Order: sequence, then structure tokens, then C-alpha cells
Amino acid sequence: MSKVVGIDLGTTNSLVAYVDNGRPIVMRDDDGDALVPSVVSVGEDDTIYVGREGQRRLLTEPARSVYSVKRFMGRGIEDVEHDAALLPFRVSGDPGGVVRIGIADREFTPPEISAFILRELKHRAEEHFRERGEFDFEVDRAVITVPAYFNDAQRTATRDAGRLAGLEVLRIINEPTAASLAYGLDKRNRGTIAVYDLGGGTFDISILKVEDGIFQVLSTNGDTHLGGDDIDRLLVEQVLAEIAGPKEQDAATVEAIRRAVIQAKWDLSDIDETEIRIEASPAARTGYRRPITRAQFEALIRPLVDRTQEPCRQALADAGLQPSDIDEVVLVGGSTRIPLVRRVVEDLFGRKPHSELNPDEVVALGAAVQADILVSGRREMLLLDVTPLSLGIETMGGVVSKIILRNSTIPASGREMFTTGVDNQTGVDIHVLQGERELAADCRSLSHLHLGGIPPMPAGLPRIEVRFQIDANGILSVAARELRTGIEQTIEVKPSYGLTDEEVERMLIESFEHAEADFEARLLIDARNEAESVIHATEKVLRRPDFAALAAEQLELGERERIDAVLVELKAVITGPDRAVIQEKTHALNHATQHLAEVTMNRTVREALAGRNVKDV
Amino acid sequence: MLECRNCGAGAPVDEHFCPQCSRILALGRHGDYFTFLGLPRKLLIHPQDLERRFRELSRKFHPDYFYNATSAERLASLERSSYLNDAYRVLKNPVSRIEHLLAIEGLPSARTEEPSTGSGPGAGKVPPSLLEEVFALNEELDEIRELREADEESEKLLARLANARKPIDAKRDEHERQLQELSARWDRELARSEVEAEHPPAPEKGAILEALRERLLERNYINNLLATIEREASELQGRGTSREASVSPKP
Repeated sequence: MSKVVGIDLGTTNSLVAYVDNGRPIVMRDDDGDALVPSVVSVGEDDTIYVGREGQRRLLTEPARSVYSVKRFMGRGIEDVEHDAALLPFRVSGDPGGVVRIGIADREFTPPEISAFILRELKHRAEEHFRERGEFDFEVDRAVITVPAYFNDAQRTATRDAGRLAGLEVLRIINEPTAASLAYGLDKRNRGTIAVYDLGGGTFDISILKVEDGIFQVLSTNGDTHLGGDDIDRLLVEQVLAEIAGPKEQDAATVEAIRRAVIQAKWDLSDIDETEIRIEASPAARTGYRRPITRAQFEALIRPLVDRTQEPCRQALADAGLQPSDIDEVVLVGGSTRIPLVRRVVEDLFGRKPHSELNPDEVVALGAAVQADILVSGRREMLLLDVTPLSLGIETMGGVVSKIILRNSTIPASGREMFTTGVDNQTGVDIHVLQGERELAADCRSLSHLHLGGIPPMPAGLPRIEVRFQIDANGILSVAARELRTGIEQTIEVKPSYGLTDEEVERMLIESFEHAEADFEARLLIDARNEAESVIHATEKVLRRPDFAALAAEQLELGERERIDAVLVELKAVITGPDRAVIQEKTHALNHATQHLAEVTMNRTVREALAGRNVKDV
Repeated sequence: MLECRNCGAGAPVDEHFCPQCSRILALGRHGDYFTFLGLPRKLLIHPQDLERRFRELSRKFHPDYFYNATSAERLASLERSSYLNDAYRVLKNPVSRIEHLLAIEGLPSARTEEPSTGSGPGAGKVPPSLLEEVFALNEELDEIRELREADEESEKLLARLANARKPIDAKRDEHERQLQELSARWDRELARSEVEAEHPPAPEKGAILEALRERLLERNYINNLLATIEREASELQGRGTSREASVSPKP
């Protein structure tokens, strides 16, 4: 039987997890790293690089590399112009249509870029199962998480990305809900919990009631445009304002600054003062150092963090609860490591939040649990989620008539009656929207539907019942029937910010055509990763504090020099395009360090045993 | 009757699963939320009992558990789950519960036009029992608006507004009590008619339903009045800031 996995497709990092013997586990690479950076880079020869490799190329090939693509999923160009200004890649698109990401002479939609990330995760999972000696290691089905506050277009874009990556998307589930599932596993947790999820690009708050294994979401709220990215951006703008005139603001400089401020941000979660440090390099011509204290950092980001408060209050109000009714608060997302964020949450709910589980991994774990529930049919646990935004249609005067209210438990359905305005009219147009505002212009346009095949009748006589169904993924489908004749109506759906089925089909075909090139690229990346880990292991030994003593006692004359020489050779070719050469040099380094590895190992064992006598061993 | 799409056996409308082959049944077109949840048509419902039923049925219907089932069963699961969620939401709230009861007892809807155009109290005639209050409130609101145009101090006007609100709030509290009372009377009648197995239903029941409908219409009207007052209040509160913004020079 092929395998199912849970995937957290994040703004900054993505992860894949599965359930083994009833326990969810995230899949790691050889270095023990679970995070795959959500960065995609396209080589001159159309090779696709994802993850660490993509991240490396962000510095060398910024114009060919894409990050934070999640912020573009299901959105239009008018939504993202502000973001696009500081991004190294080209962003375009027609107003009121899908965003296009341009790299050299190629154009990609956000679901296509996300599909590259998903394919990488699928590959990682398959490698994992293959190494475990599984006969059928193919991964063809997945549960993918999205921010709870994602609208229909954003969810649909995520599902399309899964399809493009060759995955059957069993279910789209909400990130905070997934996290609660992971938290609820080993505990006798019951009661009312709030999940505060501040990630790389999005913020969610969900209030849940947990009882008898049922995880019922009472309300959810959030901001799909608020996260660690915005914090980084504030810092980058600050640095840019201080150091560079407009001509220095090339993509490589911005990228170097972005890395430096992210490091400083991380530092300030643990220490009170650090430096934003940019080494002089071809990218950033002059080096830059600037001390920054936690207090300064907090003053800068305070307005951003405060923007999470109103959604929390609204979610509580929608659930009909006071902060004191919340039994536990759970933190999710890398940005919740920031001490200021923790303080704000603590003040808001009047209690210390939980953070026992790794906030980066908890969502993927929950997704794996949900995937397991779906394929196993186990009924101990059940997620009952809600739709985050009201669904409505445009009526006379541009006013929205709501059909399914926000925070309705899904699946949910609603009906609306329509009729014709002219004699013998055979079609009706319907504009479907999502949002809380009164006017259509202030809500999110989802799609334009055209009902066709209405039997000719005098105006006002047809009674067309349109049925809106939101499924357990939070995705809408529509059906219509003329009640007098019982005739099912044809519906053409033109998504406002999504791909039509035909477009997805075409992309699928294209991706098959690229499959061979992608396979080559994959082998190259694997070779590089292998080389990386050998280099890493070697350098770790060379940096041992006792290395000098060890070398003097046990290494042969010239052994160290030989290792250094091969190390340099491998480093020189590792970013090159020739897989065979990389493999050859990796092999050479392995060979050159074999003796060193043995003596180091012996020494470690000896040290471990020192001071104990033989009987204890 | 429902027909099982799997084995063709007939099943009563209230059944969720086929008595023959135990597969999930497609949802019939009509039904009511009370019987769907296995409840009598009572208005005073124990929230814990309602919730327990909701959870039990969720565990039976949810699409999560039909992933490997036939497409007909998957559709049935989706429909039943959606209907269950609607039923739970409507019955959980005492007012929508009454509205649902009125609908299934065949009374016309008690919903007035939504005040979505923002043009004051919703359409429809003023309920006679509210004439006096509405008249007084409208007069007061007109005066407050005039004074606002004439730049009268916001605090003073807000205080007047709060005063004008009091009789409306009192009316609403009274309505809540009346709804509660009528609901209890309905439940008593229902219990009695079950015991006595009366046919046709007691005229008393019809009268209670009519009274409930009257109260709901008034209640909607009162809510619209309160919304109008709140709009005026936020207009007054927002005044200071918007004025400042308009004098600051454009960059």
C-alpha cells in the first residue's frame, strides 16, 4: 500500500510527517534537519532547486530564486504590490487575475512554485520509506495544512499545488487545528484551548473545545498577511535607510541584509543585545555592523505584534467567551519564540502559554495524525473545523447577501433562490464573495458563476435554487436546479484569483515534460547534499578542541594536509553542475578521512569508558 | 420514506442509516432539525443534551470516516454532516430555534428585511406595541443629528443618546422574558397534547405560535432600533479624530 503523509507547507519552511505505529514523526534529512526552506530557484538550464540548495542560490542568483510564495497563493497583483517591492524576483499579473512570478524568460503561477516544494517533500518522504526497506514507498496522498484564515481561493490554490506535485490531497486542514491535534494526543487535554499561531507570513487564532476526542473549533480569526516576514522587512528597511543609497539596493544586497537581520532577530530571542552583521563580500561591498538591543527590537516590532490582538478579541467574542474561560493557550509558529510575542499573549489571555512541542514541527505532526485518521478510519479523534469567512453573493446595488456565516462548522451548506428579470431569459450570472463587509466591493471576489439552460419562461417565473456547499476542506462547490421543471442547471465557474481546471491540466502535462530534467536535477542535489554532510562531519572533527593532541599522537605525517587538500577540492566543485565530479571528490574525501574517523571514534569510546573499570562495561 | 441507494430497502425519513444494510442514507429533501437530532419540538432545550447528540451524530456522519466509501456514501455523509451542523447551530440559539419551530409549524417567516442598506430601522410597519417608543426615539435622534451638524459637544449628545436608549433596552428585556414564558407554555402544551393524543391539535398551540411570531417581529424591530442608536453613537465618537485628519496637510 502506498503511503500517506501530512505536510506543513509553510511561508518560510515546510515539513513532512507521517504516523508510525500510532505515533506521528517528522521526517528529517541526514543531518537531522526537519525543515525544508520554502525556497525555489530555477537554474539557467531550467533545473529546479528547492530547500537548502534554493536558499544558497538566493545569495548568488537572487533574481532566479523565489521565497515566501505562500503569500501569493490565491491572490491578485493588487494584493501583493507592497510585498513585491523588496523581493528579488519579478511579480506581475493582470489586475483581478492570478499573480505571475517571472524568472528569466519563464513565468510561473504560485501553485506551480509551491508544487516544486511539495515535490521535494514527497521525495524526502519516499527516500525515508525506501531507506526503511518498505516495498511500496511511493507517497501519493497527503493532508496539507493552510492558515485557518485562508479564503477559498487560497485553499483551492493549495489543493492545485498538491495536484501539480502528483499528490492526491486527501484533506486541507487548518494549521492551528492541526497543532491542537498534535497537542491533544498524549494528554488528557480537555477543555477550552486557544491556539495562537504566528508563522513566517500568516497569523491565526483559533478557539477550540476539546472533549471526548472531538476537537471542535468554536471560532477562528487572523490575518493572512502578518508574520515573521513582516518583522524581517521592518528591519531590512531600517538597515537600508541607514547604509545605502538607492543604487546599492540591488537584490543581492537586500538578500544579504535580510539574512543578517534574521540572524539578529533569532539572537534577540535568547540574549538582550546583539549585532546586525554583514560581512564585506561581492554582494555587499562594504561590511556593516550595528548593535541592536532587545528593547530597540521590541519597540520596532511592537505595532506588528499588536496587530494580533484584535483578531484574538474578535475570536473570543465570536465564541462567546471571556479570556478567563480559556483553559490553555498553545503557541505555534517560529515567530512565537520572540519574547515580546509571548508577553503579549500572556497578557491577553492572563495565563502562561504552552510551548512544550517544537512550534515549527507541531503543525506537520497534526497533519500526519489527520492523514492517519482518514486512511485508517479510526474514530477516537475527530476534527470539527469552521469556515473563517462568511460566504455571500452580490445582490442589487452591490450589497452582499450572506449565505453561510463565518465560524459555521464545516461541512456547511446554504441555499438561495434566484429568478429571471426578462422574459425567456435562459441564463443568470452570480457573483460569489467571501468576507464580512456589507458591500461587494469590500469583500473578496471568489468567482463569477453563469447558470445556463434555464427553460424559457416569463420573467420572474423560474425558481432556481442554488446550493452552496463548503466541504470539510473549507472549499466551496455550487449546484443549481430550476424547481418548476427540476432541470439541473449548468454552471460555469470563473475563479477570480485561481486557476481553471483546464489550466491545472495543462500545467500537469507540462510538468511531465519537465520530469526528466527534474530527475537529473534531483540527482545533482542529492550529490551535493551528500557532499555537504561529509564536509560537515570532517570539519566537525577538525574543530575538536583535542584535535591537535589527537593529530600528534595518531595521525600519519601529511595526513592532515591530504585531508585539507581534498576538502578544498570538493568545496570548489560542490556548486558546479557536474554530478560525477562532485561524487568523485566526495568519495575521495571519504577515503582520505577513513583513518581519521577510526581514530576519532576510538578516542571517543576510550574517553567515555575512562574512569570506569572493566566490570562496569 | 427514504430508499437506500445501496440495497434498495425502504427506511423511515428520520433514519440516518439503512435498517437493512446499515449503510448511510442519502438525505431526504425535507425534515426538521428537531427530529433529525432525535428531539421533541420543545423550545427549552438542555444545552448539554443538544451538544451530546451533536457530537454523537458527528462521529457517525463525518466525511473523515467515509474516505474509502462509495461516492454515494461520501455524498450522503457530506449532506448529513452539513445538515447536522445547520441543525445544531439553529437549535443552539433560542431565537433561531423559535424561528425554526414557526417555519416547520407552517407559519410565515418572522424575519424582517435586514438593515443592510444602513438606512435606519428595517422596512416593515412599526409594531403597534412599539409606536410610542419609536416615535419618541425618532424625535430625539433627529434632534441629536441636527445638533451634531451644528457642532454641539459630542459628550453631551452621547449622554442624550444613552438616555434615549433606556426605554428601548427595557422593552427588549421585557421581550426576552415574554419569549421565555411563551416557550415554557409551548412545551407544556406539547407535553399535554402528547399525553392526551389530541386530534386536531389544541387551538391553544396555534395561539402560542402566533404570539411567539409577534414577539419575534417586535424583537427584530427593537434590534434594528438599537443598531441605529449604535450607528449614531459611533458617528459621534468618530467625530473628533476624523476632523483632525481632515485639517492635516496632504503629503
